Amino acid sequence: MTRADDVHDPPELMRDSLDHCVKCTICETQCPVAAVTPLFAGPKYVGPQAERYRTGDRSVDHTLDYCSSCGICTHVCPQGVKIAEINSQARAAMKKERGMPLRDRIISRPTLMGRISAPIYPIVNWTLGFRPARKMMQAVLGIHERAPMPVSAPRTLRRRLKKRGQSPPGSRGTVIYFHGCSAEYYEVENSLKVIDVLEHNGYRVLTPRQGCCGLPLQTNGLFDDSRRYVRRLVSQLQAPGPGIPIISSSTSCGLMLKREAHEILGVDDPSLADIGSRTYDVCEFLLDLHDRGELRTDFQPVPERVPYHPPCQLRGHGVGTPALELMRLIPGLEVEESGAVCCGVAGTYGLKKEKYDVAMAVGAPLFEKVRGMEPPVAVCDSEICRWQISTATEVPAVHPVALLHRAYGLS
Amino acid sequence: MTDAVVIGAGIAGLTAALRLARGGATVTLVSGGLGGLQLSQGSIDILGYAPGLVGRPLDAIDDLAERSPAHPYARLGSGRVASSVGWLADSLPGVFTGDPTHNMLLPTAVGVARPTALAPPSLATGDLRDGASIAVVGLRVLKDFHPGLVASNISRVTLPDGGSVDATSAWIDMEARPGEADTSPLNVARAMDDDAFRRRFGDALARAAGDAGIIGVPAVLGIRQPGVWEALCHQVGRPVFEIPTPPPGVPGMRINTTLTDAVRAAGVRLIMGGRVVDHGGTSSRRGGGATDAAGRNRRFPARAFVLAPGGFESGALHVDSRWNVTERALGLPVSGPPADQPIVQEDYRGDHPLFLSGLAVDDSMRVVRPGTDDPVYDNVHAAGGVIAGAVRWTEKSGEGIAIASAVAAADAILKELS
Repeated sequence: MTRADDVHDPPELMRDSLDHCVKCTICETQCPVAAVTPLFAGPKYVGPQAERYRTGDRSVDHTLDYCSSCGICTHVCPQGVKIAEINSQARAAMKKERGMPLRDRIISRPTLMGRISAPIYPIVNWTLGFRPARKMMQAVLGIHERAPMPVSAPRTLRRRLKKRGQSPPGSRGTVIYFHGCSAEYYEVENSLKVIDVLEHNGYRVLTPRQGCCGLPLQTNGLFDDSRRYVRRLVSQLQAPGPGIPIISSSTSCGLMLKREAHEILGVDDPSLADIGSRTYDVCEFLLDLHDRGELRTDFQPVPERVPYHPPCQLRGHGVGTPALELMRLIPGLEVEESGAVCCGVAGTYGLKKEKYDVAMAVGAPLFEKVRGMEPPVAVCDSEICRWQISTATEVPAVHPVALLHRAYGLS
Repeated sequence: MTDAVVIGAGIAGLTAALRLARGGATVTLVSGGLGGLQLSQGSIDILGYAPGLVGRPLDAIDDLAERSPAHPYARLGSGRVASSVGWLADSLPGVFTGDPTHNMLLPTAVGVARPTALAPPSLATGDLRDGASIAVVGLRVLKDFHPGLVASNISRVTLPDGGSVDATSAWIDMEARPGEADTSPLNVARAMDDDAFRRRFGDALARAAGDAGIIGVPAVLGIRQPGVWEALCHQVGRPVFEIPTPPPGVPGMRINTTLTDAVRAAGVRLIMGGRVVDHGGTSSRRGGGATDAAGRNRRFPARAFVLAPGGFESGALHVDSRWNVTERALGLPVSGPPADQPIVQEDYRGDHPLFLSGLAVDDSMRVVRPGTDDPVYDNVHAAGGVIAGAVRWTEKSGEGIAIASAVAAADAILKELS
């Protein structure tokens, strides 16, 4: 295997942090997976402790694969130990040693799946909703028959944008919209709402052609492919010009650009650092506007009571819960924080046959909260978490921007 | 711009944020991770040793202030300590019992009688009294709690009034999770949230405890569900008390969750997951802290700051290989350790002058240049473990100093803002 010069040896950077571990167990207490199953020994055991015994590519702990990569452990660590990153790197080494299931190679390429499905979307949607087909997928591929699957949109975002025409010049400036691959094929309506809300606030929105950020490949341990994907995306996002803020409505994909491509994949490319430094989660960006007195607050009342779940990957941004504060600006809207740690799906984790039950147990307190409120919609920033929530509870789940969109009278 | 930024999410940071927000200030609390409160025993120590065992902590604070003018309690005074601790306890109804004027003696996980002032009722029920007969009952799947060790040490305790306690021990064989031979106190507490599990445990407990008048168990009586302890006492028909375990310690987690929820409900903006890396402002006032959030640094402009990041244990105070001590968040000048004597001793359990170092403060907890009353900045206050002059773990003074300094800092800021 050859690597580009600007890829550092990732284990070294993150391994340095393990000496800061004081064994306080804070990560152990917050890990949503260890809370529901002894199959995962816990982030401290698998991370800073087991790491001391890993030499070269030798794996020492098989429970490692039950880590869902939600990243909570790193987030809560008061000593700055990169627990989740150490575990992701160790898992990649383990999969290299033991072989990669075909399933993991497939589900880690959402653009490929999306592109195949787009022209034949009714057939794909029907098949994914058809029980015997799902049973076959489980038997052959190991994708759980009840795992959440996205619904392909009739038209891709690109085609819709073509029809919609160019974003008009904005009074406040220009932003680049990094929508992520799910937005291209599945969450098309939501992406259009993000663009509407940004335009409503005086921004011209550029949406350059863009591919996958490589995150699913990374969480499945396919680091070389993942690095190739993220590098290509970086050059696509650089195309519109330097210094333009990049707005992401996919929490985990935005985090890949801001942090994970560097910290987990070890990409030291200055253009990645440039893109990461101007990437904003859409709610982070809008709340910053509000803090500066620049957000439009011509909100109409939305007299509803909804649960809000801040997804795990949002925590990694280190920006608090901006969506919660934005939604509280909407008159009449009553928002209750879920109080749950994780919905369980964690990207592709909850799709896997052997992990599905764990994922559902992780999400159980959240599902109970959502069902108990009997809300018209549940709110969550991350698309896969929304699919998980709506599949488990039968309550439709929306991005926080959808509520802003309504309150602005745009839908 | 917010009125105040609080740095740190331990008991000092959370208390300062709550006091500020309840006082009408807009507050942002930033922290590197979860605070150390959940690692505590879940009680409020005011002063336990000075250096002999303390029975009446407020009186002992007055003596200490006279003897050690550099101690944080000399600045705070017993009156402010009592009112601050009282305010926090009143702000969290039903959580604490006890009284700042009087210490109880609660058994630790090795059976030592630990002096503390306020504690949750489930812990306070274990206050050692002359003539009590206690059964200490452990779970075999919980390897960090040895009832025999706890009971034999409790039996050796001579109470301040000369009295003693009779303690026996027993085990219960019961899995918290199927197939798990070695589990954590937290996993047992999660199982205990389930009524059926708690009832089975209660049945086994009543049998194992024999005819003891009071039963001590590891602190595992529920984590999310309230009322587990009460239900268990009712079921076994005798008082049961919890003994805090090594981390993950459940009583500390409960208090941390309750206090953090109160802070959130008071409208504080909580931002976790970034170290403070930078700060702006003029030579006399800080303008805004910044943290290393994902992708770039995030700035937090504010009118005033409370620095409550903890001491050496959190890395907020740092000592290098040449014995230079620095404060890492804002780079403030550190008081001590003394230059003319060794700062650590050969005896591990001895008094190490190193641990007396930290930030010097004035009466309003404004950080001052060591040895003077000159503020380093007009708008930077300190609270909790970062303040110089106390060895909290030998004195058992950590929570008292943290709460009183947090309230003093918050009140000074509220006064300036008004």
